[in-house]
Amino acid sequence: MATDMLEAPAPSETAPRPAPGSRALAFLSAGARCALPVYLLLAVGFAAPLVAVVAFSFATPRSFDVFATFTLENYATIFDPANTVWLSFAWSLGFAAFTVALLAVVAYPIAYGIVHLFGRWSGLVGILFVFPLFISENVRLFGWVLFFIRNGVLDGSLKALGTDGGPDVLFTPGMILFGMVYTYLPFMLFPTVLGLSLVPRDVVDAALDMGATRLQAWREVELPLAMPGLLIGMLLTFVLAAGAVAEAKVLGGQSVIVITHDIEIAFTYSQNWPLGSALAVLLMLIIGGLTLAALSRLDLDRILGRK
Amino acid sequence: MTQFSRRAVLQLIGAGAVALGGPTALSRAALAARPKELNILCWEGYNSAQVLDPFRKSRSATVRAESLTNDPTMINRLRAGETNTWDLINVNNPWARKVMLPEKLIKPLPRAEFEPFFETMLPSFKPPYRWALSDDGKELLGMAQRFGPYSFVVNTDKISRATAEDTGWDLFNDPKLAGRYGILESDDWNVFGIFVIAGIDPFKQHTAEEMAAFEQTAKRVFAGARMIGDIATMNQALISGEIDLHLTGGTYSISPARADGFVNLRGITPNKGPMGGKGGIAWIEITSMVNNPDLSPLAADFLKYVQAPDIAHTVAFAEGTFNPVTQMGNPACFNLFTKEQLDAIQWDSLEEEMARSVEYDIVPDYDRALDLMNAAKRSRG
Repeated sequence: MATDMLEAPAPSETAPRPAPGSRALAFLSAGARCALPVYLLLAVGFAAPLVAVVAFSFATPRSFDVFATFTLENYATIFDPANTVWLSFAWSLGFAAFTVALLAVVAYPIAYGIVHLFGRWSGLVGILFVFPLFISENVRLFGWVLFFIRNGVLDGSLKALGTDGGPDVLFTPGMILFGMVYTYLPFMLFPTVLGLSLVPRDVVDAALDMGATRLQAWREVELPLAMPGLLIGMLLTFVLAAGAVAEAKVLGGQSVIVITHDIEIAFTYSQNWPLGSALAVLLMLIIGGLTLAALSRLDLDRILGRK
Repeated sequence: MTQFSRRAVLQLIGAGAVALGGPTALSRAALAARPKELNILCWEGYNSAQVLDPFRKSRSATVRAESLTNDPTMINRLRAGETNTWDLINVNNPWARKVMLPEKLIKPLPRAEFEPFFETMLPSFKPPYRWALSDDGKELLGMAQRFGPYSFVVNTDKISRATAEDTGWDLFNDPKLAGRYGILESDDWNVFGIFVIAGIDPFKQHTAEEMAAFEQTAKRVFAGARMIGDIATMNQALISGEIDLHLTGGTYSISPARADGFVNLRGITPNKGPMGGKGGIAWIEITSMVNNPDLSPLAADFLKYVQAPDIAHTVAFAEGTFNPVTQMGNPACFNLFTKEQLDAIQWDSLEEEMARSVEYDIVPDYDRALDLMNAAKRSRG
């Protein structure tokens, strides 16, 4: 055995010299090398557009001089005290926060029913909540307009029954909030269902057996254990709602202008891509910052039991 | 289990790279000669199957048309470098001669070949037609087809046509109508509308006082609006009784509702206004050839194709909105329109409405006015 080893030629003398490229690749683990095509795809399809948006935000206003000019003028315009665009940021983030809060309250009991109460009907109830996602969001929102509009489904039906008609709720901020809660309910519901499914029933029963009230068992056992699902749902719906525009345009009749609408105006009627890009970058930073802050405070790893 | 050698994996990756990069290389090669490919950037209607399918079939061509609903976005697409993509662009009248030709975004048409088509158009489009020509009158920049007056729309059951035409834009200064009108989401046109409601000609350089008046008017008009929305929202709200009138609008926006039988809804052109005494604004689409280095020969072919009486009639009543076309000056085209279709496009008053209108033009201080108007919109909340 030892002789064989001594007689075996040194690898460096017989193996072909590796090409410079493959030597560079050798520094990567096998997994990283296998993932390289995916990384490249992400760089081209995901990172490159982001880089373009960031670069545009530093370009001369109302120009296409991306990568050729550098100015902070677009950000100065946004932070000019006379500019009211902060209102649009406030509306978007406010709507997103209220949407998340309402969805948490609305989705929890439905999720609890799906996990614990509806039995063999749970699948059907789940499908009923998924089904609207197969229809375009704009079509669904226009459906609500027809429902609430004067002499529409609600108002017309109530008048036919001899009443004064339906409430005058269309084209108001409240209606926008309703639209967002309606649109994003499935995105909160199913992570919450997942979270509640992770709660072992025995643990809740044990808490109750040891004298905890139902409220204590919920607050100190069930809710913390279901928190991963709830948190994922809240983050998902917050990000989606902060970027929502159709609800404010269709159901709200633009009674308020949300930040994504301002971005859209900058890219279209204003012919000002650099300003639109600067607004988009700020929105990304705000949402990203809030998301990271929430995650750091809630310590997802600990909740998921990795520590 | 299938075993892959390192060589086989590298071969697969190589094949994948070729598959990813191949089409790009091929399309670049194909770009050099595009005899069977045509790309059109247009307002809705020209992208409909009714208009495009006969052309596709007869030429065995691949025709791609993208529709947008405002001019600035389309112009920006060319400015951003999409002159390499598009062959034809269809926008309103001032852009060709005032913006796209000076910025070399479009190229002139062979005048001798195309100007004769103007001979058979409606009288106001006879050659030399100003908006189809360059500033010096030497180059033919595009073909005129759809047009229409575009000021505001009323429900004549609530506000008579005579009252609306006599009162004009002051309807939107009437506090009693606050909450009874909508605003169509068409910001460039709304800039015009707000200026005119303030009693100011939009199409000139404005003084600080005029801009202040614009700002105050914008805040008041937007605060009094029941809603801002698209054409479907405006027409639905007019039909349901949610609103009695809306700006900006005209034949283009209300014709679908009129075609559905709601002829009580009508585009109004005021009798008087601050634009040299005229109260209305009208648009005329000019379709031009893009300054594409690999322009498809089908671009010129398509411009001729839509001049045919039957195709012009199809363009007038393509999906979306219904509009008069310049080719109605040719009896062979006009006779294709039914009485209901003529009612839908308000043919009975079209000539007088166009006479009471100035033509859509560039607002020199549009950027400033738009910023003020957007701020006014935000202040609604």
